[in-house]
Amino acid sequence: MTWEGNVARGSGTISAATGAFTSLPYSLATRIEKPDDKTSPEELLAAAHAACFAMALASELTSAGSPPEHLDVRATVTLDEVEDGSHRIVSSELLARARVKELDGETLDRLARSASEGCPLSKLIEAGATVTVTAILEGDTDGD
Amino acid sequence: MATDRTAEVTWHGDLKSGEGRIDSVSSGAIGGLDVDWRARSEDAGSKTSPEELIAAAHASCLSMALSNGLAEAGHAAEELKTSATVTFQPGEGITKIALQVSGRVPGMDDDAFQQAAETAKENCPVSKALASVPEISLSARLES
Repeated sequence: MTWEGNVARGSGTISAATGAFTSLPYSLATRIEKPDDKTSPEELLAAAHAACFAMALASELTSAGSPPEHLDVRATVTLDEVEDGSHRIVSSELLARARVKELDGETLDRLARSASEGCPLSKLIEAGATVTVTAILEGDTDGD
Repeated sequence: MATDRTAEVTWHGDLKSGEGRIDSVSSGAIGGLDVDWRARSEDAGSKTSPEELIAAAHASCLSMALSNGLAEAGHAAEELKTSATVTFQPGEGITKIALQVSGRVPGMDDDAFQQAAETAKENCPVSKALASVPEISLSARLES
């Protein structure tokens, strides 16, 4: 991770130890305004949260005897200015669409809630911000 | 103004043998990143994980907060190099985040740099969101 210059006009790059991503550009203007192809801490946190929750939900569904054929998870992290003028992460909203054989919507809701409780990142975020979970059953139970 | 950043993940199968992918994010800066449980809990291979993305989020957040603090103190950084190491203990969660930053900051003394780094660590939005991690350490070094 490198950064050059001040916060308003400077810019940085981000690389991962595994090499899974390298030299991603980021800056303040693109963090709080339009992303303009640049990532931001909150976007990376959204990616982390979506991946963490997807794994937790896969685990819950498997334990309940219904491993998912397909899960689509979307996480939206919101950064907002709070009363003292500083920026805070105020919420992370999880939306899961699941294709699972022989499962009803009510059970999916329940498992999605416990998946969020079991995802370490949800627990951390919940200490200072809101985490919401919505789960939708996709398609029929015909295995399509 | 609130800023939303979204990430999309697809997952197939159960937790232990299934596989996932971070398909896309709002900015388009990353996409097509594979994630799975083995990479997360054992050997990363070249796959990313929620914890690695949290590390990227935290390191970039600290860099921006510190660059802002330094500029406000009248010592804009020429360059900051930041790393974050997130420790994941399966069954327990995220137990530790170790932050390291080294900076090239003309005209600044080490005490003031240490203080600015500590303030950035306390106040950056990702630190606040992850404040309930049991241990968050910081090592700051001023380059001559």
